[in-house]
Amino acid sequence: MSSSVKWLVVIFSFGMILVSFLIGWAAKKKASDAQSFFGGTALFGPVTVGLSTVAAVASAFAVVGVPGLVYSFGNTMNLWMLSSCAFAMAYLAIGKKIRAMAEVGPIASLGDIADLRYDNHRGIKALLSMVLFIGAIAYLASQISACSALFGHLLGWDPYVAGFIIFGILTLYTTLSGEVGGVLTQAFQGFIMVLAGLIMIVAFFVMTGGFGAVVDVVSMTPSTTAVVDGAEVVKNFSPNSMNGWGALPGSIAMTWMIIPIIGTMGQPQVLTRMYALKNPKDMPKLGLYAALGHMVVGFFAVTMGYAALYLVGKGLIPPIANADNAIFAVADYVGVYAQLFVYAAILAASMSTASMFLTLSANILSRDLPSAFGFKLEHKKQMNLSRGVTVIIGILSIMFALSSGEAVAILGTFGWGTLMSATFPTFIIGLTWKGASSEGVFAGLITAFVTNIGALLMTSNGFKWPGGMPWYVNVITLSIVVTVVVSLFTKSCKDENLDKRVDAVIEL
Amino acid sequence: MEIGKNRTGIVLAITVLWVLITICGWTGRWFEGLLMGVLLMLLHMMMGAAQNGKLDRKLFMYPLLTWFVVWIAGFFFSKYYSDLFLNMAPTFKILGFHPSFAAIILAYWIGGVLTLTLGLVKFDALWLSDENWDAFKRKMDQLNQKEGAHE
Repeated sequence: MSSSVKWLVVIFSFGMILVSFLIGWAAKKKASDAQSFFGGTALFGPVTVGLSTVAAVASAFAVVGVPGLVYSFGNTMNLWMLSSCAFAMAYLAIGKKIRAMAEVGPIASLGDIADLRYDNHRGIKALLSMVLFIGAIAYLASQISACSALFGHLLGWDPYVAGFIIFGILTLYTTLSGEVGGVLTQAFQGFIMVLAGLIMIVAFFVMTGGFGAVVDVVSMTPSTTAVVDGAEVVKNFSPNSMNGWGALPGSIAMTWMIIPIIGTMGQPQVLTRMYALKNPKDMPKLGLYAALGHMVVGFFAVTMGYAALYLVGKGLIPPIANADNAIFAVADYVGVYAQLFVYAAILAASMSTASMFLTLSANILSRDLPSAFGFKLEHKKQMNLSRGVTVIIGILSIMFALSSGEAVAILGTFGWGTLMSATFPTFIIGLTWKGASSEGVFAGLITAFVTNIGALLMTSNGFKWPGGMPWYVNVITLSIVVTVVVSLFTKSCKDENLDKRVDAVIEL
Repeated sequence: MEIGKNRTGIVLAITVLWVLITICGWTGRWFEGLLMGVLLMLLHMMMGAAQNGKLDRKLFMYPLLTWFVVWIAGFFFSKYYSDLFLNMAPTFKILGFHPSFAAIILAYWIGGVLTLTLGLVKFDALWLSDENWDAFKRKMDQLNQKEGAHE
C-alpha cells in the first residue's frame, strides 16, 4: 500500500473515530439517570436500535475472520453469516417478554431482569454476571487485539499505540455517555458497515462477474502455489467447499447453523437492545431493519471470501499465507476506495462490539456484582463508579488483548457460546416457562460457570471433543438440562410462587 | 392453539432436542441434528409468540410453519445436491451458485427473511396486539401499586 493511500485510510478512519466521539459527547446529556446510563432503556426507535444491534453483533470476526474461513474451507462459515432472520426469531421467541420486564420495574441491565424474575436471588445474579463477564471480556479483547494489530501494522506503529489511541477514545466516550452513547455510536458504526458492505458487494460483482465464475475456478483448479516472502505457499481447492456445507466436517456445519441462529436470542447485544426500544410495538420493524442491515454485512463477508478464492484460483494474486488476510488481499487488489471502506468497516465492527462489551463488563463490575453481594449504591454514585470502572477495564483490556496470543476467530466464538450458556437458562427458559425455579436456574448457572472454564482448560490442553464439535455446544446443552431437571423438583419462584407481575409477562 | 397448559411439555421437548442434537454432533449424524435444530427453534418461537397462553393459528401457519417447511426443504435440497456432486464440479448452477449452496441462499437466507422477518411485520398484532399490551400495562400499574402499598 502506498503512503498516500495509508494517509487516506488514516484520515478516513480517524474521521470515523472523531464522529463517534462527538456522538458520544453529545449523548452524555441523555445519560442523566441510571436507567439511561446503564441500559438506554426505552429511549430509541427501531432504525437506531436495528443498526446498533447489527453493529454490535457483527464483530471484527465477521469482517476479517469469516472471509478467511470461507477462503480456507468454503461455505461452512456462511451458514453463520446468512443468519439474517435470527433477529425476528429472537423477537418472536423472547422479545416482548424482555421488553415487558421494563414495565415490571426499573431495568438498566440483564441483572435487573434476573432480580425481578428470581426474587433478587443473589447467587443467580452473581453467577450470571460472572459468566457474562467472561464472555464480554473475551469479546472485548478480541476486538482490541484484531483492530490494534491491523492498524499498527498498516501504519507501522506499535500495536499498543494504535490500541490506546483507538480504544482510548472509545473508552472516553463510553465513560461519558454510558449505554446511551453506546447505542447511538453503534448505530453510526452500523451504518458505516452497511455502506462499506454495499460498496464491496458491487466491487465483487464487477471483479468476478458473479458467483458462477468463482464456482468454476474453485471446482476446476486443483491447487496453486507461489513463493511468498521466501516460503512456499500452497492453496488446495476442493469442489466440495462450494456446496452448502463447505469442506469442514458436517458437525461443524450443523453447529454453525444452530448456534448463531438460536444463539442470537441469547446475546446480550440483542437482549439489551430489546429494552432499549421505546415502543415495544416497533419490535417487528426492528427485526426488519436489523435483518436488512445484517443481510448486507453478512453478504459482504461471503463475497469477500469468494473474491479471495477467485483471485487466488485465477492466479491474479498469490495464495494467501494467513487466511485472516484474505479481505486485505481483496481490498488491495480492488484499489484505493476498497481499502478505505474495508478498513472503515473493520474499525466500525471492532469499535461497536468493543463499546457494547465495555459497557456490559463495566456495568457488571460496578453495579450487578456489588448488588449481588449485597452492596447497594445510590444511582449517582453507581454511575460515577461505573465511569471509573469503564476507564480501568478499558486500559486493562487493551493491555491484556495485546499481550494475548489467542486467534480472533477462537476468541469470537468463545464469547458467543459462553454468553448463550448463561442467558438461556436465565432468560430464554426463565421468561417463557413458569416452571423454571430459582434453584434450577442457579444450578444451571453453576454448571455454565464451571463447565465454561473447565472446557476452556481442557481444550487448551489438547482435549478433542467428540465429533469435532465446538466445546460450547456441550456446555450450553448441559446448563439447559441441569436447569430444567432441577426446576422440575424444586419450588422457588415458579408456578404459584411466581411474582404476579412476572406471571403476566410470561402470559403476554 | 393452546400453549400455556403445554409449556412444561414443550420445555421438556426443547431439553431433549438439545441433548439429541449434541449426541448427533458427537456421532456424526449431523444432518439429523440440523433438522432437529429447526424443530427446536420452532418450539422456542411457539412459546414466545403465544398471547395469554394461546398461539394464533394464522401466525402459526405463516410465518412459523411456512418458515419451518421452507428451511427443512432447503436443507434436504442442499444435502441432495452436495451428495450428487461430491468431489466433482456441479454440472449446473443456480444464480451462479453450486446448487447445494443455492438452496441455502434461497431457502435458509432469503426464505428465512421472507417468512420470519416479514411475517412478524405483517402479523405483528397476532404476536402482540395493542389491546393486549395496554391491558398488560394496566395490570402492571395495579400490581405495582399493590406492591408499593405492601412495602
